[in-house]
Amino acid sequence: MKFEKKRASTKQNIPTASLPDIVFMLLLFFMVTTTLREVDVLVSFRLPEAKAIEKIENKRLVSYIWVGQDGRIQVNDSLTQLNEIQKIMYAKRVALPNVIVSLRIDKSSQMGVVTDIQQELRKASCLRINYSTLLKI
Amino acid sequence: MITLKKKKLPDAEIPTSSMADISFLLLLFFLVSTVIDVDTGIGLTLPEYTPAEQQELVPISKDRLAAVLINENGDVLLNNEIIAIPQISKTLKPRIESKVDQPANKKLVVSVKTDRKTDYNLYIQALDQIKDAYFQVRSEYALNRLGKRFVDIDERSEEMKEIREKIPITISIAEPEAIKK
Repeated sequence: MKFEKKRASTKQNIPTASLPDIVFMLLLFFMVTTTLREVDVLVSFRLPEAKAIEKIENKRLVSYIWVGQDGRIQVNDSLTQLNEIQKIMYAKRVALPNVIVSLRIDKSSQMGVVTDIQQELRKASCLRINYSTLLKI
Repeated sequence: MITLKKKKLPDAEIPTSSMADISFLLLLFFLVSTVIDVDTGIGLTLPEYTPAEQQELVPISKDRLAAVLINENGDVLLNNEIIAIPQISKTLKPRIESKVDQPANKKLVVSVKTDRKTDYNLYIQALDQIKDAYFQVRSEYALNRLGKRFVDIDERSEEMKEIREKIPITISIAEPEAIKK
């Protein structure tokens, strides 16, 4: 008489053949949603906080102006002077008519610099602005 | 007796076990480099630029105007009454509500004016309060008249259009005195 261990006849390994497919799907999702950061921010700033805020739906329309703690202004990739903003922003406005200018201004700034920038933006007819803020919890 | 055995063919398989590793590596790269921060902030539309000589003064009746003046100490003057920043929303709300059923040229205009030395943070807080007052009125309107929550209404729907028409957000940013000259 033979003694045989009882064994399940099914295979015991986990099928990993579809694993790459799953991972590729995830990968594709992240590749599509990624917007690689194009600019280096050269100024340090802390955003103010607010409650009644809105989201900017379309990221492609946004163009940024940074104002740091020390009052330096950055547009695009480099620090600029106040009187150059009009020229730069006008060029942007021509390329993208409904551009939204997101103002990332340090919360300890004074209103003087903010109004100066706003005046320049008005001259460049970039009228849609957005004061970038964080959500107050 | 000779048993004929079939010669076993070697398995012709491409090793795919490392495929997962490779794609995980790629996935990790994109996970790390992704920035999913949504831009949030207070939206505003600036008035068009007109040189000082071409500017016209349009008279606005006292009844329509809510003038918010913020000085460099953070004191707020709303229609000649001194209040604190957190009170702005409460003070403005009844005034916005009273104008809901009025025609478009009778709606409330909130004018915000600051000093050149006013703190930017205070300005944002004040703007936040004003927006908050408007949002409260809007959501109450949506709930009472349309029977829907404001957040549930689609951006492009007729109802949203109605709300925008009834309660438009008109915030006017006045220029500080120093610029006017």
